Amino acid sequence: MKRLLKWSKANWLVWAIAIAYLFVSITRPASAAKGALLGLQTFGELAATLVTVFVIVGLFQVWVSEEFIIRHLGDSSGFKGLALGAGLGTVIHGPLVGVFPLLKALLAKGARGGVIVAIVSTWAIKLPMIPLELRLFGWKFTLLREGLLFASAFIMAPLMEIIIGRDWAARFRGAVGGE
Amino acid sequence: MTGTDLALLGVTAALVAFSTLRDRAKTKKALRVALKQFLNVLPFFVAVFAMIGLFEVLLTPDQIQGWLGAGQGILAPIYAAIVGGLATGPPAAVFPLGQYLLAQHASVAAVGTLLIAWVAVGTVTLPAEIQFFGARFAVSRWVLALTLSVVLGMVMGWVL
Repeated sequence: MKRLLKWSKANWLVWAIAIAYLFVSITRPASAAKGALLGLQTFGELAATLVTVFVIVGLFQVWVSEEFIIRHLGDSSGFKGLALGAGLGTVIHGPLVGVFPLLKALLAKGARGGVIVAIVSTWAIKLPMIPLELRLFGWKFTLLREGLLFASAFIMAPLMEIIIGRDWAARFRGAVGGE
Repeated sequence: MTGTDLALLGVTAALVAFSTLRDRAKTKKALRVALKQFLNVLPFFVAVFAMIGLFEVLLTPDQIQGWLGAGQGILAPIYAAIVGGLATGPPAAVFPLGQYLLAQHASVAAVGTLLIAWVAVGTVTLPAEIQFFGARFAVSRWVLALTLSVVLGMVMGWVL
């Protein structure tokens, strides 16, 4: 029961669409059948791309470890820290909630607030997903979007440092782990 | 299968081969992780494709253009930011939806915003973020990310 609830929370759309299909099959059965067929067709067209994307996700997961990230970002500051954070953000995997403990560990080790913001910003860049985006939207769209997202880390970081104050990061220093 | 698909398969095969040469056990684990993750997100993907199919039969391109088309100006990316910012799901799932909307004459700004807000905003994770980093950090970041998704979407619409 609890597992079903957890599953449903992550897969809310499955229920929403099931109900929508149920409703449409009663009111307009022909439309429901046609919709399902069209959906299946789209899925079939993308199946190969999806498989490659998840193989790349798997490769990232085993080759880019938490230690790898902490080793590179231990006590970074300055522009180099931001750039490194933004770069590493693109290869971090898993849900954002799972990344928070890692970020806190980085703060404890002396990383600057902006570095954390940069990582969270470029976490939105999913390097393994780029093949899928390329396949669907083409080179120009993909490069522009990913480029803008990457650049936005360097806008978000200083803005956030102004809003939260430069000493914000200090309160986390040495809180967990530490040297 | 398109040429892009074949190129992707080739690159992926090369990556797997390289990884196998470096470390056999790790590569095996990577493929297991890939399969597990794929099966995990499969239900959501099936739902997305089913939704696209349903949209295709129930909505006309004119309706989508009416809500998310270029004629809506800045409203289109704002709607997209709200939908993308509130909804949650696997990052990859938003791409097919975006492509469908684009094909139905939604504006580039709206689709760009949707794709960015989907991953960059994170309303569902906001409580956790507050707990970890404090309300000031989390809420400011949420507001900035939402705003930025619209701005970046507009820039994309302007460039493309």
